[in-house]
Amino acid sequence: MKFIVMFLEAHQPRRLNNFRYQDIGTGKDYFWDEKNRDIIQRISKNSYLPTLTLLADYKVPITLSFSGILLEQLWKYEPSVPELLKEYLRNSGELAIESYYHSLSSIWNPDRFLNEIRKDMEMKQNIYNREFKTFRNTEMIYNDNIDKIVNNLNVKNILTEGTDSLIWKFNPNFIYKTPHGHNLFLRNYRLSDDISFRFSTREWNEYPLFSEKYLSWLSNSPGDVINLFMDFETFGEHQRKETGIFEFLEALITKAKDYNLKFTTVNEAAELLYPQREISIQDYISWADIPRDLSAWLGNELQRDLFEMLKALSGCIPDNIYNYLLTSDHLYYVSLGTTPDITVHTYFNPYGSPYDAYINFRNILEDLRQKYCNKN
Amino acid sequence: MKSIGVLGWELPPFFAGGLGIHTLNLFSIIGRIENITLYIPRFTNEAIRYAFRVKMVNYNPVGSPYEKNKEFYQKVMDYNEILINEVSKDHDIIHMHDWITVPAGIKLKEKYGKKLVFTVHSTEYDRSGGFYPQERVLKIEREGMLAADRIIAVSHYTKRIITEKFSIDPNKVTVVHNGVKSSIFSSFTKNYELKNKILYFGRVTPQKGAKFFIEAAYKVRRYIPSAKFIVAGEGDQLNEIKSLSYSLGLENTVNFYGFVSEAESVKLYLDSDVFILPAVSEPFGMTVIESLSTGTPAIISKTTGVGEALNHVLKADFWDTDKIANYIIAVLKYRKLREALGIFGKFEASKFSWENTALKTLEVYNSL
Repeated sequence: MKFIVMFLEAHQPRRLNNFRYQDIGTGKDYFWDEKNRDIIQRISKNSYLPTLTLLADYKVPITLSFSGILLEQLWKYEPSVPELLKEYLRNSGELAIESYYHSLSSIWNPDRFLNEIRKDMEMKQNIYNREFKTFRNTEMIYNDNIDKIVNNLNVKNILTEGTDSLIWKFNPNFIYKTPHGHNLFLRNYRLSDDISFRFSTREWNEYPLFSEKYLSWLSNSPGDVINLFMDFETFGEHQRKETGIFEFLEALITKAKDYNLKFTTVNEAAELLYPQREISIQDYISWADIPRDLSAWLGNELQRDLFEMLKALSGCIPDNIYNYLLTSDHLYYVSLGTTPDITVHTYFNPYGSPYDAYINFRNILEDLRQKYCNKN
Repeated sequence: MKSIGVLGWELPPFFAGGLGIHTLNLFSIIGRIENITLYIPRFTNEAIRYAFRVKMVNYNPVGSPYEKNKEFYQKVMDYNEILINEVSKDHDIIHMHDWITVPAGIKLKEKYGKKLVFTVHSTEYDRSGGFYPQERVLKIEREGMLAADRIIAVSHYTKRIITEKFSIDPNKVTVVHNGVKSSIFSSFTKNYELKNKILYFGRVTPQKGAKFFIEAAYKVRRYIPSAKFIVAGEGDQLNEIKSLSYSLGLENTVNFYGFVSEAESVKLYLDSDVFILPAVSEPFGMTVIESLSTGTPAIISKTTGVGEALNHVLKADFWDTDKIANYIIAVLKYRKLREALGIFGKFEASKFSWENTALKTLEVYNSL
C-alpha cells in the first residue's frame, strides 16, 4: 500500500489599487477590493466550490491550506466556501497552517513570522474546532533556519519543494526528518506538474492524461508516499472544467484502490510511516519559478527596493494596512523573470507589466510614508 | 545570385530620412549576397561610392515625401514615369519602397512580368495621424499591395493596418523589424544621476504626437517644477506646438532645440532621464531603439510598432497624458526604476540589427 498525499494551496492576495503619483495625498483607497471581490467570486465558482463538493462527497482525506487573508476575503465575499470547508473537515482531511498574510516575514523578521503563524493557527482552530499540526510556509519557502523558528510552535510536519538538488540525493517519495525533529515532506514536482501544468497541454506527448495511465505512474514510482502538492486553483481555474479535470480527479479518488494506492493527509501519513534520514538545507528553497529559490520575489533591484522600503516603514504604518502590503504577491508581480517564467508571472499580473506593478506599489508606499512616517 | 532592382527615393547623404537610412543599411548588407541595383533620383552629379550599385535616374525632385502638397504628388508621378524607362529588364525581382515608388513598380511588373516585393515603411493612415488621409495616395498604396507578390511590413502593427484597413491577405505579408546601427548609440556608459530632463526627438508633426508631450509636460510640472522638457526636431506642426506650450505657460519648462544631427542626438539621449514618443501612429519607431541603445529609458504610445517587440519600455495610449505624466514622474523620482528600464532596455535593444533585417528580407526574396 502506497499513500497519495495530496496538498492543495488556496491563496489570493488583497490586490493593490492602481495608484498614480498624482493620487498621492488624495486619500484614494490603497486596495483594489472590487477586483479582489470579482476574482474571489469567480474562482470560488470555478474552483473552490466544485472541488470542495467533490472532496466532501467522497470524504477523501487530503491536506488543504487556505491563507489567512484568503479566508478573510472569502468570509466577506463568498462565505459558502468556508462553510463547505467546515463540512468537509468534519468528516475527513486536515488544514495546514501557514503565514497568515502569505508574507516573506520568515526570511526577515522571526518575531513577525511567529506572530503570523500563531494568528493563522488560532483563527483556523477557532473556526474549524480542531488542532492542526502541518505547516507550510509562503510558497514553500524553507531552510534549516525556518525549521528552527517553527520549533517554537506545536508543529509536527513541514512541507517544502523537492528541488532537483534535493531529489538527486533524497527520493521525494519518502518522509524525512528536519534537524529539529519535524517530519519533512518533499513535493514530487514531476508528478504534481503533470496535473497542474501539463494536464491540458496538447503539445505534451502524454496528452490526453487519463486516470488509469496516471495512477499506474504513481503505482510504479518507488517509495511510501506520492506528494502531490499544487495550487488549489489547478482544479477548475487553471485547468478549466471543460478540460475534464474534475472527472480526472474523481477517477483518481475512486480508482486509486485498484492500484493499491490510498489517499491520506500529511499528518496521517506521518503517523503511519517511519521517517528516513535527516535532511539539512542551508539555502532558501521554494516552489516558485525554475530556480526554486527566492528570485521570484527578490530577484531584481526593483523588488529588492520595494522590500527594503517595506522593511524600513515597519512600525509607522498602521497594522491594518501594513500587514496586507507584506503579501508576497505584490513583489511577485514585479518579477522580470525569464521565459518561460515570465509568462506565468504575466498570467497572474493584474497591472499589465512588472514596471507598472512596481510604480503602483512604490507610489502607495510613498503616500504612506508621507502620511504616517513623517520622513519627507 | 539574384538580380534585384530596388526602387528608392532617398539615400544618405541626401535627404537622410528614415527611408534613406533603411535603404543604405539594409542594402549595404544584402548587396554582398545578391546583385543589387538601387534606383534613386539624381541629387548630384558627383560620384559617391556605396556597397551596392546605385543608378541615379535623370530626375531631381526637391521635397520630402512627407509633405502633403499637390506639387509633391506630381513630382512623384514624374519620377515614376521616368523610372519605368530606366529600370533594366534583367532583374529577377523589383523591390518597391512606400507609395512613392509604387506606380513604376506596378508598370514594370506588367511590362516584364517580374516578381514584385513591396516594403511598407508607413502608410498614409500613419502619416496623416488619422486626419484626412489623401484618397489618391491610399489608392496607390492599395494598388501596390494588390500587385505585390510579397509585402514586407516593418511591424505587426503595420501588418494589421495592411490587412485590416487595406483588406490584404495576411499570408502575403511578412513582418521584418528594422535594425539599428547600435555602435553609434551604445558605446557610451549612461549614468543614472537625475538630470531632470525629458526628451522628445523627432519630426514635430501630428503623427508623432508632439502635442501630447506638451500636455504631459504641463501635468508633470505641478509635481516637479524644475523638470525641463526638450523638443528636438522640426516639422509642420512646430509653430502650433510652440504656441501651445506658451499658452500653457511653459516657456521656462519646454525648450525647443530645432534640428539635431545624429551625433548630437547621442549626447541628447545620454543627457536625458527619459525619452518620450507619444506617436498617434508610428509603424516602427527607430528613435526608441536608439534611445534604449544609449541606456535611456523610453515611454512610448501603444500605437508605436516597435513596442510589440519590447518588454522594457513603458507604454500608454498616446492621448492618456495623465498616465504618461505618472510614468515621467516615476522615472524621475525613482532611481531604481530609471536604472532597471535603462539597463534592461539597452540589452533588449541590442537584439535589433540590420543583419537580422537583411536575413529576413533575403528569406522573402527566396520565397519567390
